[in-house]
Amino acid sequence: MPAVGGFLWLVGFWLVGETVVTLTGLPVSAGVVGMLLLSATLMVRGGVPESLAAAAQPLIALLAMLIMPGVVGVFFILDEMAGYWTAILSALILGTLLSVATTLWLMQHLMQGYHAPD
Amino acid sequence: MPQIESLRDTLLATPLFAVALTLTAYLLGMGLFRRLGQPTWLPAILIAAVFLAALLALSGIPYPEYREGANWLTILLGPATVALGMPLYQQLPRIRELWRPLVVSLPLAASLAVLYALGIAWLMGASQPILASLAAKSVTAPIAIGITQQLGGSIALLMGGLLVTGVAAIAFVSLLARWMKIKDERIIGFALGLNGHAIGTVRAFEISPTAGAFASLGMSLTGIFTALLLPLAWRLVGVIGMSVTS
Repeated sequence: MPAVGGFLWLVGFWLVGETVVTLTGLPVSAGVVGMLLLSATLMVRGGVPESLAAAAQPLIALLAMLIMPGVVGVFFILDEMAGYWTAILSALILGTLLSVATTLWLMQHLMQGYHAPD
Repeated sequence: MPQIESLRDTLLATPLFAVALTLTAYLLGMGLFRRLGQPTWLPAILIAAVFLAALLALSGIPYPEYREGANWLTILLGPATVALGMPLYQQLPRIRELWRPLVVSLPLAASLAVLYALGIAWLMGASQPILASLAAKSVTAPIAIGITQQLGGSIALLMGGLLVTGVAAIAFVSLLARWMKIKDERIIGFALGLNGHAIGTVRAFEISPTAGAFASLGMSLTGIFTALLLPLAWRLVGVIGMSVTS
């Protein structure tokens, strides 16, 4: 079971992340620190070990399922947020329209001269 | 019948019941999503969430109780976030190749994604907890949850926000790209991942592998950038706000 070894990598890096966050008091989650340390380690090591890929790939594929218990919570706060929904939806939809336009405009201008490799 | 009553209580008391409900709703959602021909405007996660809400209503479990049982599953979000370090490492050659446009556009676009939404919500009179819940709306869920906990927002509202943002990003990227005559799949993918997190990235992979790779790049870089800077900026703004009012 190579995936068990890979899972230990992931849990181990999370624990290291938690240690860093606790010791430094950084306002960042342990998972993000673990993620950065993992890619830094892979850079130094040069290549992804098979066991890590065996654990990481299915976990990433299951991300949607792992966040479901949280997502469903929104149905239980519909009443609580009554009166704010116009503000919330405007912020989300209009905000996304503006940020999509910004991203496309920036990249369109900055990527001039970078031809698509084919 | 008291026997059935006590059986129901026994089943509801074990966290595995919540786990089973979650897995059932997930599989039902994925199944229906495939049946419908994988529509971009209706992500699988939304269908699954509706199924889950229905299952919860049918079984009569109060949400906080379900949430506690489902913790046995959601604890995996920690290692799953760490796992995102693998695709990030695999995309390093692309990051190096395009570091100049990325270094300029990513911090600007990722910051503005936060500021636009917060600005609009604030102008329309949203309260501080609502602002804290919406701030991470463009960030992929496992990272966004961490950020929102740091800011003191509502995870449930954040999740709803992620859903709306992802679906809106898909629609606006395809509309605006056509209008601005952008055909470069790298730009389209990057915009989908940066603004529409995992939901946009899934859409980008449907366009082409190149678009997908740039979407995961945009998604992971936005996640890291926002996770590192938003909680710090939030604390700073809070300190300034307090010293102004006091």
